[in-house]
Amino acid sequence: MSSISDRRYTRRDTVVFILCLGLSIVCLFSPTGWSYNIADTLRRTVLSPLVWLQTRAEEGRTSRVRFRLLTAQRDSAAYMAQFLPSLRAENERLRQLLKLSHRLSASYVPAEVLHQPHATDGRTLLLSAGSRQGVAPFNPVVSPEGLIGMVLSVTPQSSVAMTWAHPEFRVSAFTVSGNALGVVAPSADDRNAEGSLELRGVPYRDSVPLGTLVLSSGLGGVFPKGIPVGTVNGTLREEAGWERVYRLRPAANPGSAAHVLILVGTRANDLANAFPTDSQLEAMRLDSIARVQRADSLAQAARAARAARRDSLRRSSPMMGGAPTANILSGRDSTP
Amino acid sequence: MSSPLVTRAQLLLVMLVLLVLQFYLRPRLGSARVSPDFLLIALMLFAMRSGAGAGALAGFLIGIIEDTLTPARFGAGALAHTLVGYFAAWGRAVFFADNVLVNAAFVAVGLWFRDLIVLVMSGSERSQLLTELTVYSPLQALTTAGFALLLLITFRAWFSIRLDA
Repeated sequence: MSSISDRRYTRRDTVVFILCLGLSIVCLFSPTGWSYNIADTLRRTVLSPLVWLQTRAEEGRTSRVRFRLLTAQRDSAAYMAQFLPSLRAENERLRQLLKLSHRLSASYVPAEVLHQPHATDGRTLLLSAGSRQGVAPFNPVVSPEGLIGMVLSVTPQSSVAMTWAHPEFRVSAFTVSGNALGVVAPSADDRNAEGSLELRGVPYRDSVPLGTLVLSSGLGGVFPKGIPVGTVNGTLREEAGWERVYRLRPAANPGSAAHVLILVGTRANDLANAFPTDSQLEAMRLDSIARVQRADSLAQAARAARAARRDSLRRSSPMMGGAPTANILSGRDSTP
Repeated sequence: MSSPLVTRAQLLLVMLVLLVLQFYLRPRLGSARVSPDFLLIALMLFAMRSGAGAGALAGFLIGIIEDTLTPARFGAGALAHTLVGYFAAWGRAVFFADNVLVNAAFVAVGLWFRDLIVLVMSGSERSQLLTELTVYSPLQALTTAGFALLLLITFRAWFSIRLDA
């Protein structure tokens, strides 16, 4: 009797085990969109107290460090602020001289990184800011050192960011000298195993020296231009005669980032405001033509006036056989 | 001598404390890759005192929690924890599971095995796999086993229970 009971028990255990195993495999091979939706729903509902708890813990851990950092930054800012009014006025004057628009200002949302004790923690990061703070999918995530990644999915109070260490991460980038443009992706030939990047698609004729800083190019509409991505520290490979692939040391480390900034409102449609549209360009062109024409007509009028004055002087001078100037000026009254 | 019901309640309390520690204490301990994994301790201690099915189910639930918070490869954590929970429950029958040192060693091996499955299922590069399995995972296994040992010594009476009995 006891053996039958044990056998039933074992069979039940096996069934539960196979069921759990099957569900895990279904989760593993389900489409990415589904898995993100499931994860978002769970984070928004049953796991929200745990996420809230971890957010408070992260804030508590970083608050002392951040306080010291903020004090140092405030002191530096106060020192710099002494020269700010004159610099701002000079900058404004120069911009007016060059007819430049105002500098782009990207707003941002600060967020804590909620690290997990998982071996794959550096590839995706759970952030403590969500759609309530204005975060949306594809917002760039940066740290003071440089690019971290971009937001993948968002719930009201948290979001998940794909970092540069994720195999599917790509960013269009260029060297700070501007001589090479390519695509940055995580490197498969990882020598130091701490994660490195590679700059692909650089034409063979464009060589990039070691130590060159690589920045995001702004192409693609996700990452704004000018975020540091990494520094060139070697050549990975050369595709016979047409491209070079460079190894980059990443500017920022997602594994150790505790606090990040999510750039909101930097998508392509917002950047478009910074540049003149076709109709504005046409208006500017017509305006400049009209200005030139106006200047030409003014110059012509001035030339005519000068010529007329010369003629009148010639006529009025007695030495040149002309009438006195007073008579000319009052000629209408003096003549009958 | 406490009744089984009281002991079960005490064990549940320890599990809840471990859950809170995972999300409130662990972020304050520094590096996430080296600090103890309290959820894995909870899973191992539970699985070694229950049946294989319950161990697998607990592992699946804990794996889903971890996958939800780190969705690098959704399902990899669930699969790894299911296997760890199941084999931890079976391992109890093979080894001397009443010994606290054996329990702690189980925890360390379970964590390393979990990391191995997660990394393989996530399609990690060979160099990253090697670094994780030879540096970070052993370090984390050590800290996790150390904390598990401390816990078992402190609450020895509470853990002397067979949930499947």
